[in-house]
Amino acid sequence: MTTNQGMLILAGLVAGPLLGGLIAGLDRILTARFQSRIGPPLFQPFYDVIKLFGKEKVVVNVWQAFCANAYLTAASISVVLFFLRSDLLLILFIQAVGAVFLVVGAFSSTSPYSQAGAHRELLQILCYEPLLIFVIVGIYLQTGSFKIESVYAWNHPLLLKLPFMFVVLSFVLTIKLRKSPFDLSTSHHAHQELVKGLLTDYSGSFLALTEIAHWYETVLVLGFCSLFWATNPAGAILLVGLTYFLEIWIDNVSARMNWRWMIGYGWAMGMSLSLVNLVWLYAR
Amino acid sequence: MKELTGILILLPFLAALSCFLIKSSRIRSFIVLATGCILIISSLLLIPHVPFAFTPQTVFGLGVHGLIQAPEFILMFAILYFGCKHRSLLVIVPAALQIIFVAWFEGFMIHGQKTLWPAAQALYCDNLSLIMVMIISIIGSIICFQALPYMKNHEEHLHLSITRQPRFFFVMLFFLGAMNGLVLSNDMIVIHFFFEATTLCSFLLIGHDGTEKAVRNSVRALWMNSLGGLAFIVALMMIYRNLGSIDMQQIIRTPPGAGLSFLALALLCLASFTKSAQFPMQSWLIGAMVAPTPVSALLHSSTMVKVGVYLVLRLAPAMQGSFLSQCIALFGAFTFLSAAALAVGQSNGKKVLAYSTISNLGLIFACAGLNTPESITAAILLIIFHAVTKALLFLCVGTIEQHIESRDIEDMRGLYAKMPLTALITVMGVVMMIMPPFGLLLGKWMAMEAAARNIFVIVLTAIGSALTAMYWARWAGTLMSDPFAGKFKLEKQPVVTWAALLSLCAGAGILSISVPWLYAGLFTPSMSLNYVPPYSLNNGILENTYGVFAALPLCLIAVLGFLQSIWAVRGATKARVCSPYLSGIQTAEPRVFVGPMHQLVKAEAGNYYLSNIFGERKLTIWINLAAGVLLTLIVGGAL
Repeated sequence: MTTNQGMLILAGLVAGPLLGGLIAGLDRILTARFQSRIGPPLFQPFYDVIKLFGKEKVVVNVWQAFCANAYLTAASISVVLFFLRSDLLLILFIQAVGAVFLVVGAFSSTSPYSQAGAHRELLQILCYEPLLIFVIVGIYLQTGSFKIESVYAWNHPLLLKLPFMFVVLSFVLTIKLRKSPFDLSTSHHAHQELVKGLLTDYSGSFLALTEIAHWYETVLVLGFCSLFWATNPAGAILLVGLTYFLEIWIDNVSARMNWRWMIGYGWAMGMSLSLVNLVWLYAR
Repeated sequence: MKELTGILILLPFLAALSCFLIKSSRIRSFIVLATGCILIISSLLLIPHVPFAFTPQTVFGLGVHGLIQAPEFILMFAILYFGCKHRSLLVIVPAALQIIFVAWFEGFMIHGQKTLWPAAQALYCDNLSLIMVMIISIIGSIICFQALPYMKNHEEHLHLSITRQPRFFFVMLFFLGAMNGLVLSNDMIVIHFFFEATTLCSFLLIGHDGTEKAVRNSVRALWMNSLGGLAFIVALMMIYRNLGSIDMQQIIRTPPGAGLSFLALALLCLASFTKSAQFPMQSWLIGAMVAPTPVSALLHSSTMVKVGVYLVLRLAPAMQGSFLSQCIALFGAFTFLSAAALAVGQSNGKKVLAYSTISNLGLIFACAGLNTPESITAAILLIIFHAVTKALLFLCVGTIEQHIESRDIEDMRGLYAKMPLTALITVMGVVMMIMPPFGLLLGKWMAMEAAARNIFVIVLTAIGSALTAMYWARWAGTLMSDPFAGKFKLEKQPVVTWAALLSLCAGAGILSISVPWLYAGLFTPSMSLNYVPPYSLNNGILENTYGVFAALPLCLIAVLGFLQSIWAVRGATKARVCSPYLSGIQTAEPRVFVGPMHQLVKAEAGNYYLSNIFGERKLTIWINLAAGVLLTLIVGGAL
């Protein structure tokens, strides 16, 4: 391993919580402004997490500790691999490990809120995972490789050749970030019919771990978005910024839908858009 | 090496016979254990000799000819007899046709040519055969070991006055011998003989308990696989007409389209699909779960269904670049997706395992059909890891079933409280099915990257993969769904059971870590004809021009992550335990809260099985129809 690689690994490990936390803070401020509130300070998410770490340890099942840790480990490795410009499919699979452990942790509580939340999260995974694979296949067909390295080596922004794929990816982003209309399994507000769904029985430091892991995941998915304008950093930042702004806007103007709608609409729209784009690439 | 081959093929038959004749259960256990150990050691000793090929001149004073021809007819007449006994026309017709065809083929077509055995070498072993031999001998033996305590319990449960174990272990060991024979043979007639032998063995094992349902399902397995056997022998005659040879190596060395008819290959594939229980012939394997669980473990992991994928992989070089090969890829991917969908709709643990087997085999067929070096490597990895992991999971379910007397996933809720170690091993098995860095996911990764240029295959595989994760994660979660962070109290199980479960679990883990060495040792020296090793290997990282899988580093990180998470669990055992949130006043009992009017309310939660979308009744007919259309495409396209 070269020093360069070591630096990248470190950058990935640090960028996850740092960037992710800042994005979460920004998200809260923007959302507040949309709703004519002032909102919390930018660093509020960090304060929240630090406070959670200070709480007394309370568990409903010791294996929740395992699952929260495994979730964080997998999420951080996926971001590190992204920084190392590794294989996109590999990153996807590692990210999926974390997602599955989060679900298993929720299953380990007998509370119906956790259980139903876990099932809904599985359905969310079911909805977005194939779409993400299609996006990756699209990138492969364009650049001839699954490695992120070759995306950066590509001369033109991918967005121009994969416009529909980008729409699909932003769709995935909404599901993955559990923003409305896809805040089925859990949401930021614990006043829905499932209380806090998936996260109901995670508490204290374990909840803090899942929060940090979620920041890593946010960074990862936004990183995927940035690949669509990898030719210049300003373009990438602009694209990601616009996309995320759109996410927050959608989050604020839409109501939660049920999972049937999600799978039906998500697969129908996501797959048809992907297919159109893939056929376009295959036909060339 | 000749001795080793002899041991691997013949010893199980002899041991089977002595199990049948000697009624003492002590001696029987000893024979099973000894045979298993010898098979395991022999298969390991075989490694340095590969590749080799030879024709045994005489075995016990008999030529190969006499050794095979008489048993072949006995076997086919036995199938015919069982067909008559159960009055199943569906068995009688193909069995009778097979006898006529084989007699005509061996008596007239080959005899007329003077050379009795047109295959240059009767036995042939390359890396593919070696891997199969090791899977059969090692995993098969472990399953037989575990069957010893299982069958004892099983018969006590059934209150049998006369033990039927001699018959049971006779067939189990016979099965191993037949499988070893099949994968080591090069002569298609010999392969056909062993092919039919496995059909008969599975029939006997599925019907072992003799209940009405068992008999019905076993007859179904017999007629479906007899049809497969019939397709096999017809294909054989066509091949002989085309090439004047029934030497497997010669067949696959014939370039695609050069003299060898694709129809013959398509028929052989059809026979393989039957053996591997692909749609629409899946019902025999689903029905096979009435048998004692070690039988399911054997059928699903190391024997029977692996015959089909082995044959298609063997034949892959002869189909390279053909339309037939593409059709097989499409068919396999379709099976992968649809079996996964059916598994989502199941709450019966054994059925989930069965559909997952069909699904995984579909993926292996898809890889064989894609027919690139990457996909063939993926297929072989999938075969190895599927065998180990599926054997483990079946043995786990068997153990659980004997304990809780149910195989329903809902009844396994919170199993960790009752059988902590078994539950953990099962969860481990599930994790190894779907997560990196374990071998099955590595295989899936390779398969997806190899399939990315085929739009139909990749779309089907991507959706299938997501469904797979869903039904496995649900099961693992249910097992851990435990109200209390109780103390770890080991449950009681026979030593053999623990040894079998732990060795398979550890084996799958160690194999995953050693994938780079496995790849360097077994795959790099040309796994099969026409395939150059696709991945370069450095520092335990597999890489080709368009993909990279950091196998070994990921294993190390996974180990570290696992240890760290276990450490966290240790820390959490000191934490305050509270009961789950129920939106009411908590009581001491974890699932009960104080509701309105001070009434105690018990909270219940069940799993989503989405049976109105993924139910068998809803889906099976459409899947069978679609599979039928695809099979027609395979055969029609080959015409």
